[in-house]
Amino acid sequence: MSAVVPSGTSAGSIAPILEIASLSKAFGGVRAIDELDLTLGEGEIRCIIGPNGAGKSTLFQLIIGSVRADSGIIRFRDHNITRLHVFQRAHLGIAIKFQNLGVYQNLTVRHNLLVPLQHHYRSHELEDAIGKMLVQLKLEGTESLLVRDLAHGQKQWLAIGMALAMKPALLLLDEPTAGMSPDETRATGEIVQALNREGVTILVIEHDMAFVRQLRAPVTVLHYGKVFAEGPFREIEGHADVRRIYLGSSRR
Amino acid sequence: MLSYARVDRWLSRFNGPQTIGHSAPFWGAVLFVIGLGIAVPYIVGGYDLVNFTGFVLMLFLAMGLCFIWGFCGILSLGQGAFLGLGGYTYGVVGINLIEAQGNTDVALIAGLIVPVLLAAVLGYFMFYARLKGVFVAILMLVVTLLFQTFLNQTAGVQWHIGKAYLGGNNGLGRFSAGITELPSLKLGIGDLVYEFVGTSPAFYYLVFGLAAITFLGLRMMVNSRIGYIMVAIREDPDRTEAFGYDVRLIQLLVFCVGALLAAFSGILYVGWGGFIDPSAFGIYNNILPVIWVAVGGRKSLEATVVSTIFLLWLSQRLAIGGEYAFIVLGGILVIVMMLAPEGVMTSMLDYWARWRRRGAASGRRTGDI
Repeated sequence: MSAVVPSGTSAGSIAPILEIASLSKAFGGVRAIDELDLTLGEGEIRCIIGPNGAGKSTLFQLIIGSVRADSGIIRFRDHNITRLHVFQRAHLGIAIKFQNLGVYQNLTVRHNLLVPLQHHYRSHELEDAIGKMLVQLKLEGTESLLVRDLAHGQKQWLAIGMALAMKPALLLLDEPTAGMSPDETRATGEIVQALNREGVTILVIEHDMAFVRQLRAPVTVLHYGKVFAEGPFREIEGHADVRRIYLGSSRR
Repeated sequence: MLSYARVDRWLSRFNGPQTIGHSAPFWGAVLFVIGLGIAVPYIVGGYDLVNFTGFVLMLFLAMGLCFIWGFCGILSLGQGAFLGLGGYTYGVVGINLIEAQGNTDVALIAGLIVPVLLAAVLGYFMFYARLKGVFVAILMLVVTLLFQTFLNQTAGVQWHIGKAYLGGNNGLGRFSAGITELPSLKLGIGDLVYEFVGTSPAFYYLVFGLAAITFLGLRMMVNSRIGYIMVAIREDPDRTEAFGYDVRLIQLLVFCVGALLAAFSGILYVGWGGFIDPSAFGIYNNILPVIWVAVGGRKSLEATVVSTIFLLWLSQRLAIGGEYAFIVLGGILVIVMMLAPEGVMTSMLDYWARWRRRGAASGRRTGDI
């Protein structure tokens, strides 16, 4: 953990949960993801940062399957998932919190929670699970409200809660703190760390460097669809080239 | 012992957040409507009863569209394809088998299976290719108009399936020897066959009973686990797939249910009037259901039933004066879409609920539907 290490070795002796090998995806000639290699160990928590257009969201779409790779392989545990459909990958244990909220704005909070929880519970157990979830997400009393009437932070938590209700082995969080207040951001960081302690492997895309620092997790820097650098946040923060392409630049 | 709690538990299967109404007064009103439906043959005369039967048998088409569009977000402008195909299949099989078998059981089953098979094939190509929204709507319109165009040019004697001459735009069976009307529904086995003559109260009760069962069945379905997922797919198919649901398969199944219901309308239409021609595939049966469903409120089976019967009645009143019906119905649709895009009944109930909530906030005692 002391040096910027090439990807594929950072997981060390831990069994990998996700292995991505020479993955490529082009959109109309632009290589959004370019021969990318990335390995994530079981139980790890990893942040992905990079300038806009670096391919972060495309990488997530490739992992969940809403975008198909042009070439390369994605392995999840013992499965080659490169050609699987989105719902099949979800069944294997990959869940995502989308960047622009994975919630159904026009449905009630209860209905939103039912969609993922129905996989695991029925009748009375389902009611109990909804109740527990509402308490955990600090959304008691909102169950019959439409999600569009919630505060922004509440929507974000609901979105994270819905991804969690899938009981995933690998959770992808695309900008979980976007639009949150500093307090809400800190609370979200605590939730993410608590989840990780329970054994959920987490991959986070985040622009908020305070949040990344709080997670104290290894960071992967993407640039032009490739892994530009990888290592602990302290190292990455001090990395001159990374500062040049991303951190130091205020240009968007 | 028939206790209140028991009735309540039994009713709970039909209740849920997807449908309007769950209280005792609501179900009382439903019982009243069913009672009224049963009383209709005793209230109105023969001609009006036949007319009313014609309205009620279109409820299957309308409820099917409400189910696929209002609840699962699949707008089809070609449900007439399934209605027409159901009617034609029933007629063709019926003409060929009625003498040998003495009943129309096989014709009925074929009339249901063939349209559902077509829906399965079309649905497979549309949903597994992840075709969306407007493309499904337009593709279905093209399919139904292809059927109409094809059948319109089958007037020649070479166009026949066994004894059944397709008859071009004169209608099915017009040129078949010894046939003046398509077979009415004769259901049963062996000697135990009952003929539901299209103009009889028995036929009306058959249609009405099936409509009531379909209404309750769909209400149960949309409030079940699959109902929640249908609505989630309507709101956002991609999200729903990321939550582990095979959206394509669910859309395909829902689409087939819609086709089955449209086919019911087609078969009952033939059993009712003894007649079907290529206009069954035409604009009337494809676009008007969209108006019936949209005007009442596409997300509500209850609103669909009420507005379908009302608008069919209105069209018929207007039809006496010529082709004004279409203009008026189109006008109603435009006005409703501008003032209450969720439909008249749905919007009114929303408004009432909001008004009640405000009433409750100010301490007024209020009821619950």
